[in-house]
Amino acid sequence: MRSPVTTLLLAACAVLSLAPAARAQSLLFDYVGFDYESPNPDPNTFGEPGSGYVGLGTVPFLFAPLVSNTALNEYTFVIQGLSPTSVLPVGSFNIINYSSGTVTIYEDAKSGGTPGTFTPNPPNGDVPGTFTDGTVILVGSLTNFQLVINTTNGVGSFEAVFNATGGSQLSNFPLNQRTGWTFSGTTGEALNIPEGYAHQIDGQTFLDAAVATHKMTWGRLKAGYK
Amino acid sequence: MKRWLMTLCAVLVLAAAPRPAYAVGPVIDWDPAFFWMPGATFNNMPAGGFMQAVGTVSVFGSPLDFLNATMPATEYTFYINGLNSLGTTSFGAPGSMIFTTFFTGGTIDVYADPTPDAVFAPNPPNLLVPSSFIDVPPAILSGTFTSTIVTTNDFTAFKTGNIEGSIQWTGGTLINYFTNGTGGTCPGLLTGGATWNTAPGVGIPGYLFRHDGKIDLQCPVPAQKSSWGRVKQLYR
Repeated sequence: MRSPVTTLLLAACAVLSLAPAARAQSLLFDYVGFDYESPNPDPNTFGEPGSGYVGLGTVPFLFAPLVSNTALNEYTFVIQGLSPTSVLPVGSFNIINYSSGTVTIYEDAKSGGTPGTFTPNPPNGDVPGTFTDGTVILVGSLTNFQLVINTTNGVGSFEAVFNATGGSQLSNFPLNQRTGWTFSGTTGEALNIPEGYAHQIDGQTFLDAAVATHKMTWGRLKAGYK
Repeated sequence: MKRWLMTLCAVLVLAAAPRPAYAVGPVIDWDPAFFWMPGATFNNMPAGGFMQAVGTVSVFGSPLDFLNATMPATEYTFYINGLNSLGTTSFGAPGSMIFTTFFTGGTIDVYADPTPDAVFAPNPPNLLVPSSFIDVPPAILSGTFTSTIVTTNDFTAFKTGNIEGSIQWTGGTLINYFTNGTGGTCPGLLTGGATWNTAPGVGIPGYLFRHDGKIDLQCPVPAQKSSWGRVKQLYR
């Protein structure tokens, strides 16, 4: 008599043992905003030991399996929990690697809600507060977060592995379709960056296609492990 | 009474006129644009080569926030042409190498098309690219690039970098919305992340970069000389 746990374990092994094929990725959400450091032990340096990376702003476009209504709601995002683990200078650039963090998307009604406001010199009474109010619809872990940045003008980019882990719409994501990646451009040259923020950021997050599965007999599965 | 009426009239005149452009958010945002350059790779854009791009506008911000980019009846597109490469320079050792490519020249034109048809057809130029992005002139905005730089590398897992350029607006039916309040026009800053990832759903065959970016207006904070008397007058 095989227990349900064993059955599930074998099924999971079967899914994981399949060779990945080239699969189409899909745009999950688009975001635009600003970043800053908190804590920020050295305001003259970005990515210094002991600092924390925070990016926040609006999410103008969300795609399936997320469900949104941008006419009625404001969608905001907050990237946080990231601390620098290494900095490699290359010419005028720094390659900064970070510990794991999260990206969270919030849904806040436009009527009666509080619009996200980039009040200068965050953190403060509005930031991140006006970006974190509302319903948490998606939480994703960010791993291998890497920022490449020109230290003279803040022009650069970041990327990370994304994995959906929580939020009210997590159940919209099939179990075999919760991973992806994100990337963003950064710049320190825009004149509209509010005081106390380091860079503009403008990025996208992609979702990998569902991991393919196919039916198999127990005999064949067992044979694969003999 | 007369003073009250004059104040009201002044407010109404100011509200009706195109405002000097000052905003925190981007004036134009797109998702995405695609760049191509014959003979180029992410780490080698040979000197003398020309890069082009087409894109669809997804959001307009102030002072163009009266335009609705998501209304199906009108498609807003842009075409970047004539970015002339000065050659690619590399920094660092293999595995942590960064490539920068400066470009001179180039133009950008933004169009409002009442017959939406833009499509990122593979392997441009072709019958649809750039033609389906530049139909129905005149452009609502036209500008020239005063500098452009592409930054790439050989180590990012997802193949990500940056494309940024400065724009001097020169024309278009809506250029008056970009006035800086002192008789000039605010420059633009094109910026955003770029990827040369060719995964289906991300890249398109024949294009070198997917660009998720925007244009910000680089309006200097206005300042004007005044006397203490005038300043005091403001508070009376």
